[in-house]
Amino acid sequence: MASKHYRIGVMFSTTGPYDVVARSMLNGALLAVAERPAEGVSVEPVVVNPGGDLVRYAALSRDLLNAGIRHVVGCYTSSSRKEVIPCFEKHDALLWYPSHYEGFESSNNVIYTGASPNQHVLPLVDHMLAHVGASAFCVGSNYIWAWENTRIFREAMMARGARVMAERYVAVGDTELDQVVEAIIEARPAFVFNNLIGTSNYAFFRAFRAACLKRGIDQPRVIPVASCTLSEPELEEIGGPAVDGHLSSSVYFSSLPSPTNAAFTRAYRETFPEGPSTSADAEASYIAMKLLQLALAEAGTDDVEAVKAAVTRQRLAAPQGDVHIDPQTLHAYLTPRIGVSNASARFDILVEAPGPVRPDPYLVQSSPRYAVASRNSSLRVVK
Amino acid sequence: MAPRLLQNFNGGRAYIVTSNLTAVEALQTTLGKLGVTSICPPLTDGRAELDIGAMQAERDILFIDGDLDNPVALDTDAGSRQPPVPIIGLVGVEAPSRLKQLVNLGATAFLRKPVQGAAVYTALFLGINQFLLRGDLRSRLDDMDRRRRGRRAVVKAIIARMHDAGVDDDEAYEWLRRESMRSRQVLEDFCEAFMKARAEALDKPTRRLPESRSAETR
Repeated sequence: MASKHYRIGVMFSTTGPYDVVARSMLNGALLAVAERPAEGVSVEPVVVNPGGDLVRYAALSRDLLNAGIRHVVGCYTSSSRKEVIPCFEKHDALLWYPSHYEGFESSNNVIYTGASPNQHVLPLVDHMLAHVGASAFCVGSNYIWAWENTRIFREAMMARGARVMAERYVAVGDTELDQVVEAIIEARPAFVFNNLIGTSNYAFFRAFRAACLKRGIDQPRVIPVASCTLSEPELEEIGGPAVDGHLSSSVYFSSLPSPTNAAFTRAYRETFPEGPSTSADAEASYIAMKLLQLALAEAGTDDVEAVKAAVTRQRLAAPQGDVHIDPQTLHAYLTPRIGVSNASARFDILVEAPGPVRPDPYLVQSSPRYAVASRNSSLRVVK
Repeated sequence: MAPRLLQNFNGGRAYIVTSNLTAVEALQTTLGKLGVTSICPPLTDGRAELDIGAMQAERDILFIDGDLDNPVALDTDAGSRQPPVPIIGLVGVEAPSRLKQLVNLGATAFLRKPVQGAAVYTALFLGINQFLLRGDLRSRLDDMDRRRRGRRAVVKAIIARMHDAGVDDDEAYEWLRRESMRSRQVLEDFCEAFMKARAEALDKPTRRLPESRSAETR
């Protein structure tokens, strides 16, 4: 039987402020293409690089879709995804978005293979309150991901009687973080909730560890940092003495002991010996491209409605475990885990859910009906 | 205190009043994702078959197609334009007469037809929370109105107290305020009761006025 040939867009910012993770995502997607998981389908990836420039995302999406491409695997930041969604809706094309995100979105023109907030931030809150402490200092990059993820975190903390001491945001790519570090050390929270991305993130970890060392503070034990974004290639970027002791809530760690993951990490390493290492987002990109090929094979066409219907019938034995797409929200069932980084720039897994968890992008099953009111007193001290 | 923001609509029930069901397909799909069940009541002689009286403001939401001519018999307060449940307008023809009808019904958010799924959460969030805010403002206005009507009793009570206790107006007002707090009444109600009790006592000159807790207890 002759293979049906499809051109698929692959759009990641492999240069720019978050290039490390994006390059691992590109590798994940290309590995899934190379493995040819679906009989009767051959895929030609058309790779574009917006370079971290928000404006170029929409322009490149238009170019891809105007060239007749109907499916694009791509985007890392939520701001870039939101930038391109109108374009995909206008062309009735499908974006396969392979990264954890803050939820509160469910476009009919997007398949979400990364973690929803009930699969990353809420398990992290429960873990931190049970094992670390009830006060947090939040830092993040100044855009929608950090704003919303911190908002969800804050409301979950307050609903459980815990406290957010402060929130600080810095521009994407900003690496001058001394003031934030000083503010954290002065506040002495039980832990830091970190939503920084890219170079800001690496600079923060290095500066925070160094400032704590200078003061004789055992940072991982006294003020640990908990993130929903931190992955293995980023640990390698942080490097040196600042790499260990950081908590991460994720659906995938490269240290997972399953045979499927061992095969994935081996194939990834052999195909991309120059790196970067595998990450949760690389695995989500791998899942997206695999599911897309399986759905194309079952649908026998790249028609968006047919592929959408077909993808909800797929069951994938992914490196993280079983994965499938929820037909109502087009988000993935994934398995939440929490790990702590070690000196080898890998994660030791502390806890994991017993199986895939249903995505709840709007937190309709896992958040209070009313927004939790701030406990900041409206009374002023006048003396 | 402003009402709390409602942000999780799980368990809600939406009534979508329209004759154009294809224009609201994405609305129904997205409501399902948000945990809101949706019903499109049939239209009989242009009127939706709805039991408005049985609706609950905490759970029910009305989507009304502005292109229909008065499809719902609503008991909307003319002054505040506060309907019994949140209303979100479905806008097709962007003409002032159509939009005015939705405003008069008390719609607090709008969705263009055909509805795009991406706009639904925003419309629900704004529509329901604006409805709650308006309800809160309405009750505050009612309270202000009631207090405004009680102003006359306060003035009379201050004068009476000045006369009875030989104090100035500031002291008289302080006394009345403190006594109203002690009796857990708003000032206006307390002054009205005070004047009534005082009038009754004055009508019976053989009995002395009840000795009030006066300034020396301060």
